[in-house]
Amino acid sequence: MEKENKAKEGIKGWINPAKYGKFGIERFAWILMRITGLGLLAYFIGHIYETSHILDGKAVWDASLEMTQTTEGHIFLAIVIGMCVYHTGNGIRLMLGQMGYGLGKPGRPDYPYKPKSLNMKGKACIYATIGVAALAMWYGMAVMFG
Amino acid sequence: MMILRESIVMKIHYGTALGAVFLTVIHILMRMTQDFHESLQYENVIANYQMIGYAIMLELLLILISVHGFNGLRVILLEMRQGPTYEKAVTYGCIASMAILIAYGSRTIIMTSMGMV
Repeated sequence: MEKENKAKEGIKGWINPAKYGKFGIERFAWILMRITGLGLLAYFIGHIYETSHILDGKAVWDASLEMTQTTEGHIFLAIVIGMCVYHTGNGIRLMLGQMGYGLGKPGRPDYPYKPKSLNMKGKACIYATIGVAALAMWYGMAVMFG
Repeated sequence: MMILRESIVMKIHYGTALGAVFLTVIHILMRMTQDFHESLQYENVIANYQMIGYAIMLELLLILISVHGFNGLRVILLEMRQGPTYEKAVTYGCIASMAILIAYGSRTIIMTSMGMV
């Protein structure tokens, strides 16, 4: 039987932001997209489990709600808000990129072989997404601690 | 069994993402219609579930996020390692997990909206 082709580095290569020589914001955005995706999936599973407590009556619901009504609970929810906003913003950037928007015109690859798709527009979108996510976290905290 | 092309799967991934964002905004706005803490009180949450339109929206949101989330997990796992056996195990594992989560969440929505609490 043919040997399975494996990505040798596995998760080690996956989380290394300087895998291709030097740190790049695009690589950081890629890692953050995966981390926030996994985080949001874990939160979603927890959220479905937590809301199922409504079937067990008011006392159980109130007890499970109390977990998120603490300072730590509010900070956790603020992180979830940040992950959600980043994942959405970066996801929209990727969708637009896959439709061909913001990638620049194709050209002959000349030295120093900088890919045209990794341009300032993309970088600005990544920084803006991180900024909006931080603002959303701040707003969420203001509402929860309000 | 019908096998979807990866390009179709990614279109579903993007479609579910856009749908989920739209419905999540409505879901969060429902919490803003009154004081945040008050909106999470037992009676208010039960009343929310018993609005049939909102219950249908929650069910749709559950399906969209589950499909998007578990397909995303599948993509991440396939990026890390490849091979026919592994890929099949990951795909079927994600589909099964997605089905279990949808069933579990639907149970909460259906029972609460029908007043079985």
